[in-house]
Amino acid sequence: MNAPILLFNDECGVCRRIAHWVQTSAKNNSGDTSLIVRPIGDDPAALRSLSPELDIWDAYETIHLLMPDGSMKVGGEAVAQVLRTLRNTRWFAWSFDVSIFGFRPFQTILNGAYTILADVRPIFGCESCGTPSAWIRPIAWIAKWAKAVSRKTRHIGIKPHFTSRSPRASTAATSRS
Amino acid sequence: MIAKPRDRPQRRPREDGIRTVTGSSFTPLVLEGKGPIVVEFMSYGCAHCRVIEPLLQQVAEIVKSGETIFRVNVAIEQELAASYEIEGTPTLLMFLDGKEVGRSEGPTPTSAGLLRAVTQPFES
Repeated sequence: MNAPILLFNDECGVCRRIAHWVQTSAKNNSGDTSLIVRPIGDDPAALRSLSPELDIWDAYETIHLLMPDGSMKVGGEAVAQVLRTLRNTRWFAWSFDVSIFGFRPFQTILNGAYTILADVRPIFGCESCGTPSAWIRPIAWIAKWAKAVSRKTRHIGIKPHFTSRSPRASTAATSRS
Repeated sequence: MIAKPRDRPQRRPREDGIRTVTGSSFTPLVLEGKGPIVVEFMSYGCAHCRVIEPLLQQVAEIVKSGETIFRVNVAIEQELAASYEIEGTPTLLMFLDGKEVGRSEGPTPTSAGLLRAVTQPFES
């Protein structure tokens, strides 16, 4: 592979929108891409074929970027590398490499921003993110309540230990269409 | 003062003590299997499956002399999941000599809760 591969959670609306933006930004005028964007998917073996140390559970936990040399970047480091790769963001991405006595202030800010974004995803609709973090739970509840009120539905509770897609629901949706 | 970006340290992939069954291997391994068998219907994108995964690995290690635990990926095996009326993940189905004897939907994500869920149906 010649370009880094960005893995994203295709069951998360926020991740899908960001991945789409990255994919669009990575394309140049001739149609070549500086970054390959692909969903994590459901096949652990397919992921291991990209990198033997890539674990599907970890891939869903945090953002992963596979580099052409076989190394892997995760979390804020992966985001920084994506920004370095994209044409329209690389002008400021050098700042993430700035180090003052071993401390990288801009990278630290980016790591924090990534953590916050990962935490707030449930507010914008991320079924696979599960129960939101404690600090985000009241906001998520209010967002859910507001959505329920605007749609005039009464089911506003958060299911505690039961998530993800329902095969029956998807089968029903297929048969309806 | 430009630092080299740090890479992720090399590490070993996780140990997996739970075998994955597919639509074609479900009958020989589960329905024709002897003794207590637990099947976890899960999806890798499901946050609660992610939470119980390490705990289920521990439970699989504890019960391995008496029970076998398998996993079914509902994202791929949708027909199989629909035939057992799996409405969400994680759902554990307990089989004894090929017959379903219990089910636990979204079990409590603790080792004790999971251990209880996968052993209780076989005690009665």
